[in-house]
Amino acid sequence: MTTKRFCVSLTHAKNDTDKATVAFVIANAAVASDREALVFLSIEGVRLAQKGYADDIHEEGFAPLRDLMANFVKAGGKIFVCSPCFKKRGLDETKLTDGALVVGGAKLVEFLAEGAPCISY
Amino acid sequence: MTRLPAAPGCAADLTSHAAWDAGAMGCGELLLELRFRLQPLQAGQRLSLVARDPGAVEDMPAWCRLTGHKLIQADHPHYLIERRSDP
Repeated sequence: MTTKRFCVSLTHAKNDTDKATVAFVIANAAVASDREALVFLSIEGVRLAQKGYADDIHEEGFAPLRDLMANFVKAGGKIFVCSPCFKKRGLDETKLTDGALVVGGAKLVEFLAEGAPCISY
Repeated sequence: MTRLPAAPGCAADLTSHAAWDAGAMGCGELLLELRFRLQPLQAGQRLSLVARDPGAVEDMPAWCRLTGHKLIQADHPHYLIERRSDP
């Protein structure tokens, strides 16, 4: 039996910490529900893949974003980081947060190609 | 092992092997921690859960349908979940 896939697309970081946080809460619900879960970080969202960046993001009523991200990866979730978005912002690919993978479009298309629901923030 | 008070007119076996008070935790945080807490149980063993988040009323049945764990009792905020057999 192949595991059903679920994608969360996130385009925000400190410009909208509410969206960034809720995206990972939903991603955690997906991975907890036995889905092969992916968070696709693009546009401003790629900043979250930089080690330490999310450390001071803590929305009221939610766990700290750093913990939400770490728990997601620990449970088997994947984080894809849009390569051109990452490069455009001059970020350092040697300092990625655990579980983050810098990818081009083909990797995302491959994940979605067989059919995967996707929710966007 | 603990035994929940049975609902009126309910003679079901409400024995649990583990208990967790999740407080106000909800949504993905609750589900991920719940998954973690069910893992060490044997198939057929039960977790007694207290989840006060209002979303739990709909989320617990949905999560059990998705994962195959069995919802033995739902009387918000009290839930009794039976661990599934691993595939």
